[in-house]
Amino acid sequence: MSVTISGLSKTYPNGVKALKNVSLNIGNNMFGLLGPNGAGKSTLMRTVATLQEPDSGTVQVDGLDVLKQKNEVRKVLGYLPQEFGVYPKMSAADMLQHLAVMKGITNSGERKEMVEALLQQTNLWEVRKKALSTFSGGMKQRFGIAQALLGNPRLIIVDEPTAGLDPAERNRFLNLLSSIGRDVTVILSTHIVDDVRELCPRMAIIAGGQLLIEGAPADSLAALQGKMWSKIVGGDDELRTLESQMQVISTHLVGGQHEVRVYADSNPGAGFRAVDSHLDDVYFLSLSRAAKN
Amino acid sequence: MRLFWEFFTFELQLRRKSISTYVYFLLWFFFSFLCVASESFGPIGSGNGKVLLNGPFAATLNYVFISLFGVIVIAAIFGTSILRDFQRDTYQMLFTKPISKVAYLGGRWAGSLVTTVFAFSGCIFGEFIGTLAPWADHSRIGPNHFWWYVQPFLSITVVQIFVLGSLFFAVAALTRKIFVVYVQGAALFMIYLILLTIFFASRSLEHFWSGIVDPVGFILVNDITRYWTVVEQNSQLLSWSPHVALGLFLYNRLLWIGVGFVSLGAVWALFPMSVEALTARSQGRRAAKAKQQEELELRPVRSLVAAKIPRVHQDFSTATAWAQFISLSRMRISTILHEIPFWAIVVIMVGFAFNNGYFAGYVADVNVWPVTYLMLQSVEGSAELFLFIVAGLYAAELVWRERDVRFEGIHDSLPMNETVDWFSKFVAIAFVELVLLTFTLFACISMQTMTGYYHYEFLQYFKELYLVVFPQTLMYALLALFVQTIVSNKFIGHGIVIGVFVMVQILFNFGWENTLYLFGQTPAYTYSDMNSYGHFVPALFWSITYWLAICALFGVISIVFTRRGADSNWSARFKIAAGRAPRLIPAAALFLLIALGAGGWYYYNAHVLNEYLNADARRDIQAQYERDFKKYENFPQPKIIAVDSHIDIFPDRRSFSGWGHFTLQNKTSQPISQIHLTDANQALSNVQFDRSFHLVSSNSRHTYSIYAIDQPLAPGETVQLNFNVGWTSHGFRDGNEKPELAYNGTFFDSSYFPGLGYSTAGELDDPRRRREEHLPTLEELAPRGDPAQSLYNIFYKDSDWIKYHTVVSTTGDQIAIAPGYLKRQWQENGRNFYEYDMGSTSILDFHAYLSGRYNVRREQYKGVNLEIYYTPGHEYNLDDMLASSKDGLDYFQTNYSPYQFQQFRIMEFPRYRTFAQSFSNTVPYSEGIGFIQRILKKNDIDFTYFVTAHELGHQWWAHQLIGANVQGSNMMSETLAEYSALMVMQQKYGKDKMHRFLRHELDRYLRGRATEVRHEPPLALVQREPYVWYQKGGQIMYTLADYIGEDKVNLALHNFLMQYRFANATNAESAPYPDTRQLEAALRAQTPPELQYLIDDGFESIVLYDNKAVTATVTPTADHKFKVTLTVQARKVKADGNGNESPMTLNDYIDIGVFKGDKDEEQPLYLKKEKLTQEQNTFEIVVDEMPTRAGIDPYNKLVDRIADDNTIDVTKP
Repeated sequence: MSVTISGLSKTYPNGVKALKNVSLNIGNNMFGLLGPNGAGKSTLMRTVATLQEPDSGTVQVDGLDVLKQKNEVRKVLGYLPQEFGVYPKMSAADMLQHLAVMKGITNSGERKEMVEALLQQTNLWEVRKKALSTFSGGMKQRFGIAQALLGNPRLIIVDEPTAGLDPAERNRFLNLLSSIGRDVTVILSTHIVDDVRELCPRMAIIAGGQLLIEGAPADSLAALQGKMWSKIVGGDDELRTLESQMQVISTHLVGGQHEVRVYADSNPGAGFRAVDSHLDDVYFLSLSRAAKN
Repeated sequence: MRLFWEFFTFELQLRRKSISTYVYFLLWFFFSFLCVASESFGPIGSGNGKVLLNGPFAATLNYVFISLFGVIVIAAIFGTSILRDFQRDTYQMLFTKPISKVAYLGGRWAGSLVTTVFAFSGCIFGEFIGTLAPWADHSRIGPNHFWWYVQPFLSITVVQIFVLGSLFFAVAALTRKIFVVYVQGAALFMIYLILLTIFFASRSLEHFWSGIVDPVGFILVNDITRYWTVVEQNSQLLSWSPHVALGLFLYNRLLWIGVGFVSLGAVWALFPMSVEALTARSQGRRAAKAKQQEELELRPVRSLVAAKIPRVHQDFSTATAWAQFISLSRMRISTILHEIPFWAIVVIMVGFAFNNGYFAGYVADVNVWPVTYLMLQSVEGSAELFLFIVAGLYAAELVWRERDVRFEGIHDSLPMNETVDWFSKFVAIAFVELVLLTFTLFACISMQTMTGYYHYEFLQYFKELYLVVFPQTLMYALLALFVQTIVSNKFIGHGIVIGVFVMVQILFNFGWENTLYLFGQTPAYTYSDMNSYGHFVPALFWSITYWLAICALFGVISIVFTRRGADSNWSARFKIAAGRAPRLIPAAALFLLIALGAGGWYYYNAHVLNEYLNADARRDIQAQYERDFKKYENFPQPKIIAVDSHIDIFPDRRSFSGWGHFTLQNKTSQPISQIHLTDANQALSNVQFDRSFHLVSSNSRHTYSIYAIDQPLAPGETVQLNFNVGWTSHGFRDGNEKPELAYNGTFFDSSYFPGLGYSTAGELDDPRRRREEHLPTLEELAPRGDPAQSLYNIFYKDSDWIKYHTVVSTTGDQIAIAPGYLKRQWQENGRNFYEYDMGSTSILDFHAYLSGRYNVRREQYKGVNLEIYYTPGHEYNLDDMLASSKDGLDYFQTNYSPYQFQQFRIMEFPRYRTFAQSFSNTVPYSEGIGFIQRILKKNDIDFTYFVTAHELGHQWWAHQLIGANVQGSNMMSETLAEYSALMVMQQKYGKDKMHRFLRHELDRYLRGRATEVRHEPPLALVQREPYVWYQKGGQIMYTLADYIGEDKVNLALHNFLMQYRFANATNAESAPYPDTRQLEAALRAQTPPELQYLIDDGFESIVLYDNKAVTATVTPTADHKFKVTLTVQARKVKADGNGNESPMTLNDYIDIGVFKGDKDEEQPLYLKKEKLTQEQNTFEIVVDEMPTRAGIDPYNKLVDRIADDNTIDVTKP
């Protein structure tokens, strides 16, 4: 399954430019779309999920024109939106059954098998008869992925799925995603860098509606290797001095003290030590470069 | 204090910025404005024409009206002011600060109070601005008195706001549940309406406690003002004084203000000011939920290796679309059926249905069998409202559901067709409506069973509920689906749908009656047991088809514009719509074609085949006739002395045709050269005279034609007038079908035949309408003794008495009837022919033709043929009618004169008109009255018996003796018939039982006075006032008989009858007819001198008593008897035509009585007429048994404004 996005642009009626000429090539397996809030990720996701029309540009999914053949795309699509609610008083099992019918699984035996398997897979079997409105946040997300997996979709779009989940939930969720088959394309959009780092062999970073980087995380990391330096700073004054003098990527608190990470071709000075590049560094560096432009 | 002010001003700020505050203000503004500025809007405007639209009574009643509908508004404002903090979770921020209870609660309450008072003050401004409207009916607008606006507002509305506001505030603050807040207003509203219906339907004459406990004010105002004359309504406000109207208003206000204070006290005492207490409930729930989740998560660790998900086949054929549709529909239906509000609506609807259905068998004060059409009629009104509410509500819910629960992301990306999705919503609503209709059906059948009627007509239930009502609910569902799809806010959508519904009613009221442009409208129709839906079927069918097709078109457009995806701006939606449209064009085209076809056919029938006249147009025609031809009113014309006719009735075509043959005689003293003919029904053609004549002129409608006889008609000479007459029905009309013609139950009268000269029968009666048409006030009848008018009788100026002969035919399965004795009956070409002839007996020129599929009940009684023609199934009261006829014949022949005919026949006609009418020996009697009467309790008044006796009475009083065309003559036929019926009733039931009947007659007289549009005349000068000639007249005559003796009154009537009956029957020159002066003289001749005042008071004046039993005590006497000490008050006033009263000196005989037994079932221990000359009187009466009640005029024989206080319980001293 290949997804080709070319020249996608969208401006909302209130003037906000959500997408500016974005082009991406997405193949099989997990693809991470990284960016801050308001970067245009959800707009991009919704456009590929047939829910929005761009002002210009095209999206192709395995040869299908997403903009003109929406229904065909929907047949092979599984979509988990960023935030979703549920109908009151419907149980998880009934809802999955209904959505399975909607996805064209007309054979009742197959349907039953699929629904059961998904409920087991997402650890919702015990609560399948309970109303969805009583589910906790994590359970609702699990239900969300269960419905997205109905009908063996070949394109799965998951929009900010781990925001609001506690660490154990998040772990389970990412495990579930990664276990999905080889010839399925999963586009994972998130602002949590670790999600992409843990799951995705390919990624893109998008901010302010524009594509900043596209490629394999490993390649981006390699590009920064040997150029990341770290130092513990004493106070705010020193931090301000460093910020004005060199490219500070990020600061962390370690045991109550500030540690800065700086990008430089060579050791910037006293107190700095070399550190391995992380994906966060790639992310923050791209954002600050884009901000400068 | 400062804190209180903070909360108070904050609340006001919030409300000031909220658009709903202004919406409420405008709502009441426009209501009041329209009540004054528009014709026939509101409780006063649509009523009688003399009550000032901006008078005190009008203001009071309008404010009570607003108070009822305002219940929901008050609940909304006061309830949400408290709830806001708990809905938006700001309570946690608030209650962790140091605030005092008084400040918090008081501030919110006070803010809500001020806001609500402001919102409701819209009605003051609306009324005032309305009086300035230049197009308003200024004859009904008086000078603006400030206090007339403000006092009712303060006394009724502000008190209401205080009481209900505090109550709702308390409930909201103590329960803090949004559901309760929204429901409490609606629940109070519904419960009040149900109790109101029960109270009014039971026709209770209880006027005190019911008024005090009334929180809204309808019953209160009714109790205080039900007998107020127009003068009083235009000058008096409801008084807070404890001496006026027994202090009803004061006590009511005190009671409810007390309730308000109790509510406030409850809030102050019980409202907990700690967050913990406030959220205890939800805390508990949260804890339970957390525990549940914990249990679920803490389970043995599962392997992290994911199992394989099975592979499935995806199929996307039409079978799938069908499966999707079924799944979606099932899901949507299940969601609705699992909602508590839905079942709350069902329960309330069924409650209303049960309530209304229970009273289905109580129509116009009479118990009737709760036949299916009555049951449906009672229940349908309120049920339809609920059905429309459900349609609008759930259409909105379903359109917005996915977005409201935020599921639209998943839903819109499913591989489904918008049409399938939309259809599932439509089907869900349709299914739910069917469920509701079935509940309604169940309620109806239950009520019929519970009240003892088992003849369920399932086919009729099916037709009415599922074929007529169901499509109309679908129309509103489709409209709502369309509006909610287009509009971006659910509540604006609700507003539009409600607006459409309301506009249709308003437009219709304003004269815009065309079914083709009133949304969802069907023409008026009446179900009859004689015809089922009969000739209304085509109009109903085509109008329903038309509107349903238009709504289906709306549905198609909704599908085209359905929201899908994240882009909600219009350019995106249009783009998507353009993509969907091509697929749906065939369906749209189909519905458009059906709509055009049905609409076109409807238009053709209603506007081309038939002349379409709305109410305004019809009044214009009447007014034009008066304007053009009233000048000929006293033009001398010959009189009809003989009528011969041949009428062929074609019931299956609702038509008839035939010819008529009049013999006219010049009974004036001058020659007549012109003959004017009125053709009121436009039914005549081929008018010929038996000598040379020519047409001088005729108006465009040919309702008035002037013919000249070339050789003038000499006095005493006769001339023959021949004409063809007929009516052919074409297609169907948009309402206003002629009720005279039906497939079964034809009944039309001689108004289709030519009338000679100008007829006043068509003049507009309502002064309001006359003003609209710029006509002068209605001309009054001439005073008694007027030489010209006395030569005519009160019914017909163009005849005295005639000889009558007719041949009438109808289809082979029906019987045709006309006045006369059946001479011959034969069949020809499958049709039945009947020849009726009155022979040498003269009758009034008032005849009718009937035809129907009748069963006949025949009995011979003392030489008179009694016949009842009835529809199979309506056998309930035949015995009753026959009994009444026999008893009446006995009484009237004994006391008045021999019955002049050999037969007396009653025939049933469809309930398109509901009256009974007395022709010569022929009484058509509507299906809707009398035939389905039901005597439930022994004490029930038998109206069928009464009305039959009344109509039989007319055979003497009208068909033997008729008065001149002057003031008062109507009473000689109606009052005397009413008196005759009362006497027959009394003979059967006894004097004691008459009290109950008289109470109701008195009540109706007094209520009639309150709605007088011109002025009330005394009985002997009555003109157009039924409440005077029926109820007052009956009572006056009954009382006279009680005082001077029944035999004396009957002797007077006998003398009067024998002297003046059949006036002008045989003479060739007209002589004066009798009038009420002669009747009075006959009565005076039998009245002793000391009782002559009864005739003065009863006939020549309007006299009202104010009699009251003040105290009654009893002490046992030595010889085991009982001495009763009774003090009474007696007063007497004289009123003018407008209700202005002046006191009279008392010198009257009035019954003083002592009774045993329960109230309303008293038996007399002592009853004597005492002469009273002063206001306070005390009597000591000794009786043999222990008395229970005593009083003055205990049987209400005298007209008394307050009938209840004539008797009181006897107590120990």
